[in-house]
Amino acid sequence: MTSLTLRNMASRKLRTALTSIAIILGVAMISGTFVLTDTINKSFDDIFQAGNQGIDVAVTPKTVAGLDGIDGPQLSMPQTLVKQVAAVDGVAVAEGSVSGQVSIRSPEGKAISKGPPNFASSVADERFTAFRYTEGRAPSTPREVALDASTFDKQGFRLGGPVTVVGAQGATRYTITGVVRFGDENSLAGASFALMTTPEAQRATGQAGRVNEIDVAGDDGVSPAELKSRVATALRGERVTVRTGQENADKQSEDLKKNLSFLRTALLVFGGIAVFVGAFVIYNTFSITVAQRTRELALLRTLGASRGQVLRSVALEAAIIGLAASIVGLIGGLLLAPGLTQLFSAFGFDLPSGGSVVQARTIIVALLVGTLVTILASLAPALRATRVAPVAAMREGLSEGEGRRRRPYFATLLLVVGVVLLCLGLFGNGSGGQAATLLGLGAAVVFLAVALLSPRLVKPLAAGIGRPLQGIFGLSGLLARENATRNPARTAVTAAALMIGVALVAFVSIFAAGLTGSVDATVDKSFTGDLTVMATDGFSPVPEGAQAAVAKVPGVGDTTAFRFSRGKVRGVSGTPAVVGVDPSVARTYKTTWKEGDNDVLANLGADGAVVDAGSGLGDKYKVGDRFTVTTPTGKQVTFTVRGLVDEGDFGVLGGGMVVSTQAVVEDFGVRQPGMIAVKFDGSRPAPEVRKEVDTLLERQFPNAEAQTKEELKKSQSDQINQLLGLIYALLALSVIVSLFGIVNTLALSVFERTRELGMLRAIGTTRRQVRRIVRLEAVITSLIGASLGVVLGVLFALLVSRPLEEEGFVLTFPIVTLLILLVLSALAGIVAAIMPARRASKLDVLEALAYE
Amino acid sequence: MPDIVTATDLTRRYGEGEAAVDALAGVTVAFPAGGLTAIMGPSGSGKSTLMHCLAGLDTPTSGSVTLDGVELSGLGDKELTELRRDRVGFVFQAFNLLPVLTAEENITLPLTLAGRKPDQAWLDQLIETVGLTDRRTHRPAELSGGQQQRVAVARALVHKPAVVFADEPTGNLDSNSSEEIQRLLRQSVDDLGQTVIMVTHDAHAASIADRLLVLADGRIVHDAPAGDADAVFEVMRGVTA
Repeated sequence: MTSLTLRNMASRKLRTALTSIAIILGVAMISGTFVLTDTINKSFDDIFQAGNQGIDVAVTPKTVAGLDGIDGPQLSMPQTLVKQVAAVDGVAVAEGSVSGQVSIRSPEGKAISKGPPNFASSVADERFTAFRYTEGRAPSTPREVALDASTFDKQGFRLGGPVTVVGAQGATRYTITGVVRFGDENSLAGASFALMTTPEAQRATGQAGRVNEIDVAGDDGVSPAELKSRVATALRGERVTVRTGQENADKQSEDLKKNLSFLRTALLVFGGIAVFVGAFVIYNTFSITVAQRTRELALLRTLGASRGQVLRSVALEAAIIGLAASIVGLIGGLLLAPGLTQLFSAFGFDLPSGGSVVQARTIIVALLVGTLVTILASLAPALRATRVAPVAAMREGLSEGEGRRRRPYFATLLLVVGVVLLCLGLFGNGSGGQAATLLGLGAAVVFLAVALLSPRLVKPLAAGIGRPLQGIFGLSGLLARENATRNPARTAVTAAALMIGVALVAFVSIFAAGLTGSVDATVDKSFTGDLTVMATDGFSPVPEGAQAAVAKVPGVGDTTAFRFSRGKVRGVSGTPAVVGVDPSVARTYKTTWKEGDNDVLANLGADGAVVDAGSGLGDKYKVGDRFTVTTPTGKQVTFTVRGLVDEGDFGVLGGGMVVSTQAVVEDFGVRQPGMIAVKFDGSRPAPEVRKEVDTLLERQFPNAEAQTKEELKKSQSDQINQLLGLIYALLALSVIVSLFGIVNTLALSVFERTRELGMLRAIGTTRRQVRRIVRLEAVITSLIGASLGVVLGVLFALLVSRPLEEEGFVLTFPIVTLLILLVLSALAGIVAAIMPARRASKLDVLEALAYE
Repeated sequence: MPDIVTATDLTRRYGEGEAAVDALAGVTVAFPAGGLTAIMGPSGSGKSTLMHCLAGLDTPTSGSVTLDGVELSGLGDKELTELRRDRVGFVFQAFNLLPVLTAEENITLPLTLAGRKPDQAWLDQLIETVGLTDRRTHRPAELSGGQQQRVAVARALVHKPAVVFADEPTGNLDSNSSEEIQRLLRQSVDDLGQTVIMVTHDAHAASIADRLLVLADGRIVHDAPAGDADAVFEVMRGVTA
């Protein structure tokens, strides 16, 4: 029996190969994701190990759980602590180091990278750093810097030449005195570095008098653990964490892994979707194979093959295909990992890369997922195979039959379960992760249910789509439609595979359109200034000095800095966003008040706060109430509620709570603004003022840019579209898998209809007409899938946007995008039909008629 | 001679209510061991249904079938499968060989399914008898129709079944090949002592039988020694008239 299975597969190489592709792509995505993220982890682990090699003990500012993510502020400690540490018995050297994000400009004055960050760091004692000079020397005056070799070479800098670095105080020109490598590497995971003297690094990163880390080397004979406890004792009462060098490296690795886990999960989701779609293709292929082999299976049964033997033969085929496809997919994943990095950088998200890391886990997961999914998907067809009646071997001209049409209780139940899961995810109060899991599960179940129900929809949909085709192409259109509806279950599952990809694309595009619309509405409603100043990359902070400089431009009236942070409030879930504003906010911003007015915003003082009436804070506190916030620096600060804005109406300030600049700088440790709102005083024509602001920024703060309200809306929607593009690219994988499903189904159908096609050719149908019939059938199938997908996508969007409506989310339907999606699906169907159509048209008429 | 296959008061009804059709309307018949019986009858007479019921492929609506001492009614799928595998051989009109297996592999398929090894000497003898010694490793596609059917006959005999059912075994063959197959079936009865039950339309094929059963409208209308082809024609003319 085993060899029978193997030979059956060998005799249908093409079918086996096409079926395999359905699994290969998904597995490649999954294993590629693991390889990619493992590689990133590994390269950073190496970096952290190297960076902490000579450090016996490291002192860092204490972080607050939940507020120490990548969006948290950079924490620092007073420089005076360095002396305290140096005085500890057993400490040989203690050195404070400073590092912060800046913007290094190319010799042409442009930003040098879109993705990886630029850093300004203080020059460190050789034992505390892995930086080694390959050329020149360390900077010794405030106007000197050393650059990393990669940046130096790529940008064409020269030793002794100038380089401009834009820091917290604006652009500064330095002389390049040295070039460094990081250990054996030219760069540190793609990031660029400008090494400066400690005071200059403090100035450039806006951390005067403060350090980010204190590195300690001990006297001989003092163990790092011993030294750690002595330093910890000396610094008791300070908000710091003391670790050994090894612990510090481990902590840094762990933090990174936490940040990367989102990327990993996101990519795995796309891989999972592809595998899910692949399962439909597998299911369909096996269903058709079983149907076509009915006579053979019946013969085996007549000759005495038990049900178990039949089941095993089908399952074995699935297992072999699954395993082989997984192995190919795994290899594909290894090749894909660098490709993923490329994909991300094409969309402006650069990831570091190094030699590919393949863990045993990657191999196991890839093989297991691919093989199990294939076997599971083939289970139903395999069970159907066991129900083939032996007597079927005796019947002439047996038809595949439509099978028993059971009432769709199960599918309906499944649909209900799916919708309930979706609602639980949306309206339940689970954590973000739980909600996402519920949503994903719900969506998958809904897809399954619709796939099960869709055979009933095939006839009317095919009629709707096929009629115009029939009008255009006449008989070919009619035959294509009949062919598509001849076996509704087969067409339905083929279409359902495409439906999933299309539904997700439709959902994402509707959602993005809604998001863009909401951003536009938010800006229009709440921003009353003339310009905004933000970092050109859209997320970095604006240099601290920019506000004062812009304020001096004649014609500029008010400048309001918005500084963004987060805090924790006991009894309130999550970490509410905190925004610090200048008093001039009263003139550059407006909102709808439940209690209070803009004057309240202008007079917040050190402890005043305005909260969103609809948020967790607003639910709990009324005007006059006091509440305590834990800030990212670990401080406990008490604020008094001075005003309430209407639910979800903070507009450009985001959600949560608004406090004064003083509070956000001193208590939350945020020095640099995220955005500056500018209002002209009307003394000069606006375009002139705008031009002068632009000139100023270009000269002194080239990493920041001014935007009008319209430009701001545009740049925000550009960012959303950029992300959208990336998601489309990742979803394309699933769509490709489903296209292979169409190819497979068509190829099998053509094979099955050999005799009929031969008859058509014999009575005078041209090859071209035969091709057209197959092509139109593909178009009908893909349009059935696409229209179901669009409908589902719209329904998902309607559902998901419900809870967001309170936060100002406006659902809009990008009709044009959706229509394009349908057209593209039809085109994809035509592409999928190329090979099967050619086969059909090349049939030898006589052979086809004699075909047994 | 004990009876290998017996059917008692067999009815087989398809459909329900007014649309119901009785393919078999009370058939009682016994087949003693070691003989070749031809079953004939016009289309729709129930001859195929009778054979399917006798072979345990179809379940009669009422009545009972005993095959090699085993009462079929009440047997589950597993028992029926094993019964077919071990005690029944089949020859089909459409050959029904597996295209991916060689001639020899097709012949030994019933044994393979049962997980048994063929007795090599017996297999060699059988393959020689059907005249395929030089075709053992050929695939069905490389064989003529007659050769394919000879493979099928050998397959039906390889496990020395209690009874061989042949369903229009010569229906798809030219006259030369037909004769070969008829000769083989005759030989299996005469030389090997097989019991063969054959459904056929072909008076020539029926004429090699020891006994001729004719069905019409689900009933046995003729049961007598077969005689030569002309005699068979005569009988059939009487039935269809």
